[in-house]
Amino acid sequence: MNNRMIINFTPGSTTLHKLTGATKVRSFIIATVFLIMSFDLRLILPFAVAATYALFSLKPNWKPIRYVFTFFMLLNLLNLFLFWIGDPGIGTMNSGGTTTILWQGNRFYLSAETAWYLLTRFCKMLASFLASMVFILSITPSEFAAGLNSIKVPYKICTIVALAYRCIPDIVRSYMDISTSMQARGMELDPKKVPVTTRLKQTVLIIIPLILSTFENVGNIANAMSLRGYGKRKKRSWYAEHEPTAADRIFTIGYIALGLFCIVYILYRIFSPDYHLLWYPFTS
Amino acid sequence: MKRPVIEFRDFGFRYKNQTKPTLYDINLTIYEGEKILILGASGSGKSTLASCINGLVPFSEKGVITGSCQVMGKETQGESIFKLSQVVGTVLQDSDAQFVGLSVGEDIAFALENENMPRRDMLPLVEKSAGIVGMQNFLAHLPYNLSGGQKQKVALAGVMHGDVQILIFDEPLASLDPSMGMTAIELIDDICTGQKKTAIIIEHRLEDVLHRRVDRIVLMDEGHIVAALHPDEFLHGTWLSKYGIREPLYITAMKYAGCNLSEQNNLSDFTQMTLSETNHKKLQDFFISKGRLTEGRSDHKTVIEVEDVTFSYDSILAIQNNHFNIQAGERIALIGKNGAGKSTMAKLLCGILRPQKGRILLNGEDYLALSIKEISEHIGYVMQNPNQMLVKDIIKDEVALALTLRGYSKEQIEDRVKESLEMCNLYSMRNWPVSSVSYGQRKRLTIAVILTLRPDTLILDEPTAGQDFRHYTEIMRFIEMLSEKQNKTILLITHDMHLAIEYANRAIVFADGEIIADDAVFKILADDDIIERANLKHTSLYHLAKKIAVSPEDFISCFIAYERRMRT
Repeated sequence: MNNRMIINFTPGSTTLHKLTGATKVRSFIIATVFLIMSFDLRLILPFAVAATYALFSLKPNWKPIRYVFTFFMLLNLLNLFLFWIGDPGIGTMNSGGTTTILWQGNRFYLSAETAWYLLTRFCKMLASFLASMVFILSITPSEFAAGLNSIKVPYKICTIVALAYRCIPDIVRSYMDISTSMQARGMELDPKKVPVTTRLKQTVLIIIPLILSTFENVGNIANAMSLRGYGKRKKRSWYAEHEPTAADRIFTIGYIALGLFCIVYILYRIFSPDYHLLWYPFTS
Repeated sequence: MKRPVIEFRDFGFRYKNQTKPTLYDINLTIYEGEKILILGASGSGKSTLASCINGLVPFSEKGVITGSCQVMGKETQGESIFKLSQVVGTVLQDSDAQFVGLSVGEDIAFALENENMPRRDMLPLVEKSAGIVGMQNFLAHLPYNLSGGQKQKVALAGVMHGDVQILIFDEPLASLDPSMGMTAIELIDDICTGQKKTAIIIEHRLEDVLHRRVDRIVLMDEGHIVAALHPDEFLHGTWLSKYGIREPLYITAMKYAGCNLSEQNNLSDFTQMTLSETNHKKLQDFFISKGRLTEGRSDHKTVIEVEDVTFSYDSILAIQNNHFNIQAGERIALIGKNGAGKSTMAKLLCGILRPQKGRILLNGEDYLALSIKEISEHIGYVMQNPNQMLVKDIIKDEVALALTLRGYSKEQIEDRVKESLEMCNLYSMRNWPVSSVSYGQRKRLTIAVILTLRPDTLILDEPTAGQDFRHYTEIMRFIEMLSEKQNKTILLITHDMHLAIEYANRAIVFADGEIIADDAVFKILADDDIIERANLKHTSLYHLAKKIAVSPEDFISCFIAYERRMRT
């Protein structure tokens, strides 16, 4: 089951894998803020390079990543195209400068500023994608729960998240079993033979018993948990959350520094009168 | 005098949304270090009784309590489920559902995490608990890679922390194969003796539990206790047949032979039992005078031929060079431990998976030319869990679904639905909602669903899993009827050796994807080598034959022949 999914269930052996859940969750949150706050390639590009390096350092199973990556790229390109269609002048608007026409069509035109804007936007999305991948691949659901708990999310919510992850493989298996039995009864699930609408209807038919059998389990799990003292105290500790190592300390310094930088940048962005969202190096 | 750890006094309990009490007039004292077996059919209240001890009742499942229930000298109502969990450890029936952690180590640590214990104190304790059940080398393993027996060990390790005095096992054998079940019973016994715990085992598989000593058997029926006796005394009585509990096979055999059970010593401890002289004689007479099973391989036509079939999932070999034939009207048991290839074989036969090497012939034709849909008109596959097969609200619609999908006309659908519902004795319920019928009826409904396509072969995956003896008999008699009256060919995937003895004529034994035996049931159950390789265990009939020094194979054959005659 493990090798077919992106979610990681066993702790890996690389440096990033070995960080604590708290470090991973906090670093990821600050990285996200960092990426969202600017349209400045001077910030985004180095980050994207670092994230690519981090992704390779995890030595992941590339097969599912390639699949998700293709899907992401297609969606992203469509998104950029729609941005351009929506407003060809978007680049000028955000750079606060001139319009340099590169290509003039019938109703649409492409300006250098807009092209730069779209490029920045693309890099930003790519960097976020890489960062999310690194995060997902390096963390296990239990570390995630522990990490969330470390930023003061109530532990009941954290365990719900971890349990949901924990149940995904069970649900996938159940789904396969039900679809097996439906096929044996003559339901054609081959995408080549059946139109999409019929398949959708059939999928609904499979999902109903799936949901019911999942509900059946919920009661059992709840009982099993309360019989082992779940919810007894205000706080709980985490077996999956080991003591911080030297790498954790380095990362902590890193994300705190990055966090401070973000605060300064955002303050500048709010209070500076001549701040433009897009960093555009070629203003004439 | 031993110290009582659990005391029920005129105890009763009624669930909030029910009108009648689930438990009443319960008077029972359990002493320190005792090992108690609670027996009873489904719905007899045995699980509720355990819930009263571990605090699920009344803290998680609300209701009204009358009388008193004390655990370690304290009234449970005045405690909390958390306080109780420090003295009572519960291993639930469904080892999947209670696996809360992501890995073995995490699951064992769950109770400690909830105590907010720092991780460095937790690690040695987890290791210690894992060591007691022999799972210390599996701490990083995921639940999906564990066998049912291992999951249960993890569950046990997870409740044994600290000061736990009482261990409750809710149907510990339900999902284990025979040899694993035996190991589980040994483990429970070793831990309770070694760690000086009080154990309460809830089961209806009496013979398997009696593999190791128990101190008392508590028999429950419809919410009250009918007997609480030493196992020997208990077996001398006539409780079993009266309250729907399956008799141990050796006792059935002794009864068939006309033995006098009351003069027999150590009746509950089969290995220690020495047959009395008269009983010895009677068993021997039975063996000599009663006929053997006639070899039933007739010249029926061959319906399925499996020729050198190989199949692997992502380079993991699941089926290797399987080869066998099936004749019309046969009843065959497919046995072997989990992951041995039984279910994969069933999926191959139904065409859900297709052989990567070799071929499968249906009525002499290669089935590659047929779609899954067409194959399902020859071979029907009934899954273990009926809830995974039923997708409609109304019984009638459920049965009609396969026909509707095939575009049959309205009249045809009506005819066939009527036919299969009548066959399964469900016609009068045709307009009932699926959710309102009992488990046994739902099981029959899944068979009806398959029968509408008029297949001549049925594959049933664990048809009786988790069922008490009454439901077991009901389902199996029905399957037997299909085989005899409708001349269906039946393939049963099962762990249950009783079932194979009673209802199958032939057994195909799988181990690691290979077929290691394909022979009459009585021959297989007397073969030491096969039993070991396939994780089966010797039935008590085998040992009984050894005790009277006759061939086990002949003895089992003789027993089956007699039993079948008795039934018809």
